[in-house]
Formats: sequence, C-alpha cells, structure tokens
Amino acid sequence: MARPQRPQLRRTSRERPAWHLTAIGIVVVGIFLFPLYWMVSTSFKSPDQLFTRPPTLIPTEFDFSNYLRAVFENETMLRSLGNSLIISVGTSVLALLLATPAAYALGRLQLKWTGLLLLPFLVAQLLPSINVALPMFTLFSRVGLVNNYLGIILADTVAVLPFAVIVLRPFYLNIPKALEEAAAVDGATRMQAFLRIVLPLVRPGLVTVAVFTFVMTWGEFIFGLTLTTKQDMQPVTVTLNSFIGQYGTEWGPLMAASTIVALPIVIVFLVFQKQITGGLAAGAVKD
Amino acid sequence: MSASFRIRRPAVRLRATAGRRRGRSALSRYLFVAPAIIFLLVFMFYPIAYTFNLSLFDVNVGNFLKGGAAFVGFDNYVEFLSSPGFLSSLLVTLVFTLASLAFQHLIGWAFALFFNRKFPLSGFLRAIMLVVWVMPAVVSASLWRWMYSGSYGLFNSILDVFGIHTDEAWLVNPQTALIAVIITNIWLGIPFHMMLVYAGLQGVPHEVYEAASLDGASARQRLFGITVPLMRPVVAIALLLGFVHTFKVFDVIYVMTAGGPAGATNVLSIAVYNLSFEYFRLGDGAAAANILLVIPLIVSVVYLLVRRREESA
Repeated sequence: MARPQRPQLRRTSRERPAWHLTAIGIVVVGIFLFPLYWMVSTSFKSPDQLFTRPPTLIPTEFDFSNYLRAVFENETMLRSLGNSLIISVGTSVLALLLATPAAYALGRLQLKWTGLLLLPFLVAQLLPSINVALPMFTLFSRVGLVNNYLGIILADTVAVLPFAVIVLRPFYLNIPKALEEAAAVDGATRMQAFLRIVLPLVRPGLVTVAVFTFVMTWGEFIFGLTLTTKQDMQPVTVTLNSFIGQYGTEWGPLMAASTIVALPIVIVFLVFQKQITGGLAAGAVKD
Repeated sequence: MSASFRIRRPAVRLRATAGRRRGRSALSRYLFVAPAIIFLLVFMFYPIAYTFNLSLFDVNVGNFLKGGAAFVGFDNYVEFLSSPGFLSSLLVTLVFTLASLAFQHLIGWAFALFFNRKFPLSGFLRAIMLVVWVMPAVVSASLWRWMYSGSYGLFNSILDVFGIHTDEAWLVNPQTALIAVIITNIWLGIPFHMMLVYAGLQGVPHEVYEAASLDGASARQRLFGITVPLMRPVVAIALLLGFVHTFKVFDVIYVMTAGGPAGATNVLSIAVYNLSFEYFRLGDGAAAANILLVIPLIVSVVYLLVRRREESA
C-alpha cells in the first residue's frame, strides 16, 4: 500500500507535516472500521430504516426500542452481563495473584531452571481451548464445577495465565538490581522486598495484565459454551450466540445486543489504550 | 541449562550453615513461581493427560457419569482418521488458516509501513484500528453475519454500487461460505500483524536507510534489501503465532456458520466440539482433540529448532 518515499520527497515531508498521508489514513482506517459503525448504526434503526436497499447510512431518527427489547427489558441478557462481570473480574484477580510472583521469579530471580519453567507457559499458549474444555467438562461435571462461576474462572485462568506471565516478565527485567540489594542489606526478607519495593515499580505492568485478562475473559466463548448448561449461568458471549438463533433475521435487536457486549471492551480499550498496545508488543516480540 | 550444573555443585559439597542458608533462599525463589506452575499442572496438564486416557475408551452419553466405558485402544483414532469428515475438515482448516494468514500478514505489513511514515494523527489512527482486535469474537461474528445476509446485507448493497445485483446469502451457500468466513477472519487479524510488524520496524536503525538512500537505493530496493531481511525474526514470530492461533479457531466460525453449510466451514476444532458436545461421544472427541493438537505442535517444534540453530550459528 505505502512504500518509503523517494529521498527528495522525504526531505520536504520532514519540513512540513504530511497532511496528505493523514487524509489517506483517515479514509483507509475509516473503511477498515466501517463494520463497527454499521453495527452501532443498525442498532438504532427501526425496521423501516433497516430493510431498505440501498441501505440507510445514517439513521434518520434514533430508535431505542432495539435496546429495550434485546437488553434492558431482557432478563436473560442482564443476568448474563452480570455473570460475565463476575467471571471476568474473578479471572483477572486470580490470574494476577498467580502471575505476579511467577513473573517476578522468572524475570528477576535468576533461577537455574528459568528456561524449563517458562516452557509450560509457552506451550499453554499454543493449546486449542477445546482441548482444555473437553476434559474439563468431564472432570468438572463430577465435582460440581459445571454451571459454577468458579469452574469457568478456573478454565479462563488457564487461558489467560500464560499470557499474563509472558507479558509481565519484561516489566521485572527493567528494575535496577541495586534496589533489592539495598533492601536485603537493610534486613528485609525477599518477600518484604518484593511486596514493598518491586511491586510498586511494576504497577504499569500489573495494570496491563489486569486490563488484558479482563478483555480476553469478557470475550471468551468456548469455556462459557461448554462449562454451562443452564441459561442463568451463561456468560454474555454465549447468550449473544443464542440470540442469533432466537432473533433470526431481526438484525436491530441483535446489533443492539452486540453493541452492549462490545461496549465495556471499547471503554476499557479507550482508557487503557497505551498499556494494551505497549504491553502486547513487549510480550509478543520479546518472547 | 549447562550453567545450572556449575551452580549446583558447591551447594551439594558445602554442608556449612552458609551453604544451607543459600539452599533455603534458592528454594524460597521457587516458591514464587510454584503456585502458577501447580495451577497449570492441575488445570491444564492433568486435563490434557486425562484427554489421552479418555481417548482410549468408548465414553458416550450412556456411560459418561456411571463409568464402565469399554477400553478400545486406538480405535477412536482410527475411526476418526478414516472417517470421510476428517480429510475434508483438515483441508478446510488448512485452507482457512493459510489464506487468512497470508492476507492478514501482507495487509498488516502494508498498514505498518504506512504508519511508519510519520504524519499527523498516525499514532491515533494506528491505535483505533486495534479496537477490531480486542472486540469479542462473538460480536464480530454476529456483525458479519448481518453484513453477509441476503436481501439487505451491506455486502450485497456494496455490490449494487458496482452494478452486480444479487440476493446471495453468502454464509448459506456452501460455495461461498468458506471464503466469507476467511474474509471476516482476515479483517480480525490485520491489527495483530500490523502491530507486530510496526513494533519490529521501530527496531530497524534509521541510519541504515539514510546510508542506502545516499547510495541511491530505490524505495523498492530499500524495502526488500534492508527492511525485509532485518525483519525476519519478527515475521517468523508473527507467522508462527498467527498459524497456531488460526489453526485452532473456533468461535468466529462457530457463531457465523457452526461449521456449515454442508460441512463447508467445518474446521477441526468444530468437529471436535460436535463429537464431544453435540453427539456426546467423548472418547471419539478426545481422540479428535489430540489429532487437532498435532499440527500446531509440529510447527512450533520446527520453529524452535530452526531458531535455536540460527542463534547458535
């Protein structure tokens, strides 16, 4: 699409801001993101604006009835939004509790077996979710963890923990070693040094991991689908999928429900955009 | 790993208190990583080992909770591998994976090169593209279902502009469904590849370009002579991760077509799901799950071996 320009053009572009590239960028990114606009605009359309050809690009009047029907007056949907919130927060907390000390040890403590100990986390990322979901369903159905928040939280943590450790590890690598040594001289135990000195320094990393695990868990589908059999325990992704069958071609309510499911993720993304992009690039490229 | 032996020996030889204290503090280091490792052992490695066990028995809806399923050895594997559905599933999965990956990566490169040229708002535009990447797959899939729908879908309305009038329901036609889900998946994956390639481009030293420009290298020469060779490790990582993640795809396809129509989009992970949770033949499902695991595993091992050889060379 775009190649580095010829030298002489480049020199001029360094003097003046290249607004022509901005214009191209806005058009291209606009086309790329158009499907998301289409979802939101469809959600506000009444059936007479929806079923037209050529389509109504901008809703002529905003119709909120899709939202009332698919979300705010729909108990299944409200309940599953709550389920997803519980599951996502629970998973983020559990993943942080496990990943924070693990990434510290693997990044900072120069263990003999660091390479070997990292392996399970790398392997885990390769694993298809269905390969975990199938035995988990069999095992969990014997111990009452099917249709149970804890069951889904444990499964989701399997999916996000490797990622959390691998994203968090580089944050520890950047801490000056002298700080811990100073703490050791002052008689602090390793645990005290970790809690009081190291943790505050990796707070940006912890935020990144919390945001990430929340986003990944909120969108998780397979574990929700396989580890719940009762509607009132379903996460919101599974409910949205069942809406597709239920509403058929009533695209207005379906897009309203989709927009609501996407909304928390978009808000989290806009607030924590820097942490998300920075953390991912660090984790994916370095390991 | 070789260094570990050198460190270990003094700890064994010295019985003095100092040595023992060092041993204890070494142990305390492992306590930090132990909870996470134990968690994975219990909730990931044990279930996988259990899957292997499951795959050797004829577990089905009748004996699932009662127990007493018959041992059948590798029959479940033989049955799955020789079923007519297996080869078509494997083919669908490979076509889906390779086509998605090729276009995701190439278009990702194009975006990364574009954003690598500094211009006003480039950082902002690059960042908002990632919204697509964080979107829950089920949301994207339901949205594309709507766009691909027959009479009022956005896709057909766009074709109208080009003078092609059709009411084709792209996901219902077995001949177009696979291409349709591939296009959706390309859209989903572009930001990931763009992000990795862009991050890699930041590591290419600027002076190299300056020197090449002064030597009269054209833009094309600079791209293929400097950028691409320097980016090889990043490209390798992006393609490996992309392959593994695409090969195991489930949610996008499940929500858009559930593997249909007529098996046209029936990727392996959906075949595993259907065997296990639709027909409730868990033994067969477990065998199929293990087969699904094999190809990404081979690809990853080959990648690691190649990388290790390159690093030591």
